[in-house]
Amino acid sequence: MSELQYVGKSVLRKDGPQKVTGKATYTVDVRLPGMLVGRILRSPHPHARILNIDTSAAERVPGVKAVITGRDSLGIHHAFVESARRYPPDQLALAIDKVRFIGEEVAAVAAVDSYAAEEALDLIRVEYEPLPAVFDPIEAMQPDAPEIHPTNPKVREPFRNIGGKTESAWGDVELGFSQSDYVAEDRFESHLRTHGYLEPQATVASYEPGGTLNVWTSSQGTFIKRAKLARTLDLPLSAIRVHKAYVGGAFGGKIDLFSHEYCAALLSMKASRAVKIVASREEIFTAYRHGQPLIIELKTGVKSDGTIMAQQIKVINNSGAYRGSGIVVVFLSWGFAMLPYRLLNLKYEGYAVYTNNPIRAPQRGHGAPQMRFAIESQLDMIAEELKLDPIEIRLKNARQPHEQLPNGDNVHNCGLPDCIRDAADHTQFLQKYGHGRKGASRNGRFRRGIGMGVSAYFGGALIYPSSSSVIVKMNDDGTVTMLTGALDIGQGAETILSQIVAEELKVPIDEVHVIAADTETTPVDIGAWISGGAYVSGNAAREAASQVRRKLLDVAGDELEANVADLVVEDKSIFVSGSPDSRLTYEQLVAACIRKNRGDPVIGEGHWRTMRDEPNPPSLATAKGRWSENYAFDAQVAEVEVDTETGLVRLLRAVTAHDCGFPINPLLVEGQIDGQVSMALGHALMEEVLMKDGRTINPSWLDYHMPTIHNMAVSEYIDVVTESYESGRPYRTKEVGEGYVSGILAAIANAIYDAIGVRLYTTPFTPEKILKGLAEHRSLSHDHR
Amino acid sequence: MKTLISLSVNGELHELAVAPQATLLEVLREQLDLTGAKEGCGTGECGTCTVLADGQPILSCLTLAIDCEGTEITTIEGLAQGDNLTPVQQAFLEKGAVQCGFCTPGMVLAVTALLRESPNPSDQEIKKALEGNLCRCTGYNKIVEAVNEAAERSSSTNA
Repeated sequence: MSELQYVGKSVLRKDGPQKVTGKATYTVDVRLPGMLVGRILRSPHPHARILNIDTSAAERVPGVKAVITGRDSLGIHHAFVESARRYPPDQLALAIDKVRFIGEEVAAVAAVDSYAAEEALDLIRVEYEPLPAVFDPIEAMQPDAPEIHPTNPKVREPFRNIGGKTESAWGDVELGFSQSDYVAEDRFESHLRTHGYLEPQATVASYEPGGTLNVWTSSQGTFIKRAKLARTLDLPLSAIRVHKAYVGGAFGGKIDLFSHEYCAALLSMKASRAVKIVASREEIFTAYRHGQPLIIELKTGVKSDGTIMAQQIKVINNSGAYRGSGIVVVFLSWGFAMLPYRLLNLKYEGYAVYTNNPIRAPQRGHGAPQMRFAIESQLDMIAEELKLDPIEIRLKNARQPHEQLPNGDNVHNCGLPDCIRDAADHTQFLQKYGHGRKGASRNGRFRRGIGMGVSAYFGGALIYPSSSSVIVKMNDDGTVTMLTGALDIGQGAETILSQIVAEELKVPIDEVHVIAADTETTPVDIGAWISGGAYVSGNAAREAASQVRRKLLDVAGDELEANVADLVVEDKSIFVSGSPDSRLTYEQLVAACIRKNRGDPVIGEGHWRTMRDEPNPPSLATAKGRWSENYAFDAQVAEVEVDTETGLVRLLRAVTAHDCGFPINPLLVEGQIDGQVSMALGHALMEEVLMKDGRTINPSWLDYHMPTIHNMAVSEYIDVVTESYESGRPYRTKEVGEGYVSGILAAIANAIYDAIGVRLYTTPFTPEKILKGLAEHRSLSHDHR
Repeated sequence: MKTLISLSVNGELHELAVAPQATLLEVLREQLDLTGAKEGCGTGECGTCTVLADGQPILSCLTLAIDCEGTEITTIEGLAQGDNLTPVQQAFLEKGAVQCGFCTPGMVLAVTALLRESPNPSDQEIKKALEGNLCRCTGYNKIVEAVNEAAERSSSTNA
């Protein structure tokens, strides 16, 4: 095995120069000749029947070129997940007869400027008949609750408004509890957070005479957007071309079809002009999709040595007015519950509940932060009860390499035990643990605590388009061009794919040119939203480059009259081992191949599908069936300081010990971890979308507190490397983009308890909750005296 | 009714007819095709529209274009000379301070202004200078590293 030159190195981002000079073109920067401005009219009611829409006055506004309502659409329903029988699509891009949340799209206009467009919006008259609305998921489940989708879905009993349900069990949970020495039962709740992407949602659509619809849209994958636009517009896939644009952050919030994308397309078709729609930040906060608050009821039975014997979990997801990814979160929560620790007996039920709130989206971690917060908090409580320390109870239950999961998946080279040990050693966890609430400083104003959280995440799963292909072609000058459908949303997809191609072909990174994410000119890609990029698209790139390498070797063998086995590939050239002075450059080899092989300029193609023998994704209803072939693991430690006078908590230090398989680019891995630590910090301590009766009451950055530079926490990393990369062979790398947002959230909760002895069951951990907890704690210890 | 103004941007003087309510950001992006400055909120809360006015960072989404006559505006497009990045741009690249890149132009300009005023800033000065610039991707850690790197690099170039 030759030494690796390009993978495993902190290669600089390929798109970096474009980004630091302001040249990178995002969707918001796209400008086309004659482009119109689009605006959307939204429902002011959380639940209402639409009786009539009159657009005549709006159409007369000078400068207005098109006005559309649901009547202009084909009325084709769509959903994030859909199947004809169990999950019929439940959502329209433009409402026709009913609206189900405040902000639902009712009409749209395109005009020569924003003034005309907004004047036209004001002149659209919509007659509504308000209907009773329900916002709380528990209330929505009651038999007398207003029904949000009376004809849909089929899962209705015994509760109302169930948009989807996952029920799964294995082992014998009752037996497990009866064999337990201690059983804990707790209820945890999480809250509503937004993704916080800085680039607003935006789309430019341009319908060309002849029938091609060109689209630029801020997204997480161009192929899924093309598919959903084609279906809802009833156009052939080939009539739509979604172009690459740089993406200013997404974090799960830009995957599914959004109404503004549909409206931009339909307005452009109607006006025969390009149309651009950019959502305002207020619209994003009030009408777009946020994450998913879960209620988690958790019952766990353990032996006195800490061995988990049984776990029973009930999850209720307030998933908004349409299915969105609500049912997916309910399925995934099952997965995030069973991944890190051995569970012999588990019973799980989860409900995605329709309410008259805005639709909910995937959000980095997609259910894992909520679930790990609950389980890791309760595990610490159990450990204390059993007089075990938080490290030994985790090590006792952590999955070992090659364990089989209940659905048939395997954890392969699982590095979790090492992650737990390394994180504990590195932070001197056990020396510090308990000092805050028990040590000498327990009466001081500022108290410190330490806590651990463990998590795991899948890498790639079967959901459209499920696979990636890459084309690598040699250029006459010996450089390489890679065509990939992968979309770089900041995670560095183009860079790591280039590293892989560079490694296989021994070509400098700068000489790998990238054409990406254009549905017309690049092959299909799994997308930047299923945590499969490095593995699925990476192996496709590796295969494509390997094919090119084999072709070059064949030509070189011919030219040098040598066996391919005796050839060495190095520095854009090939020579017979031992004779580096008589080498043939790639430039020469490409010319030779064209001359000898009927013009073949050396092109390779590679394809990869995760779990290629599985025809279907797992069942959302039963959680049966294979889910993923890669699981990343992590143990994260938080050290916090609590101000017992103000209730403010500061995250002082975050340590992430992680098994992401093989880090293809350590600098990018660090960046992903830092970002997730910061996002978890916001989740834990600062951020909340506040809603009252379906209306967002803090729709701005000023009122929604996202971490600023003042909230930065020290972030340290420990790589537990469990996989290797060998040229010419498939590699198994895992996940780094969203798995590490969860353990640290739980770790912060546990660290707060360690500091002040206050256990928090609901996020966020606000000063009010801390002070209330401290007061209760004080009165409790008073009573004991 | 539009007003004729002359606006100096990145050392070039432009004669422009602008609406009285047009912000500097709109004029830069829509009339001059300088799209490096972004609109992340339009209400002065995120910092992605940061440009320099006579060397000082300002929020171009809260600034009227007609108020900028006689002011030298510098945008992100005005920093690098051809392929030669400034030390701040180079440090952002090398330290991994760039992910999605949407906050990057504003960040780079705010840091450029900071290092002119204070070539070796303390952590507190760095945080003060960047407190109005949101970044969701990096957690700010690598941005602070990049500022320190740029400061070091600038001082060694000047020495």
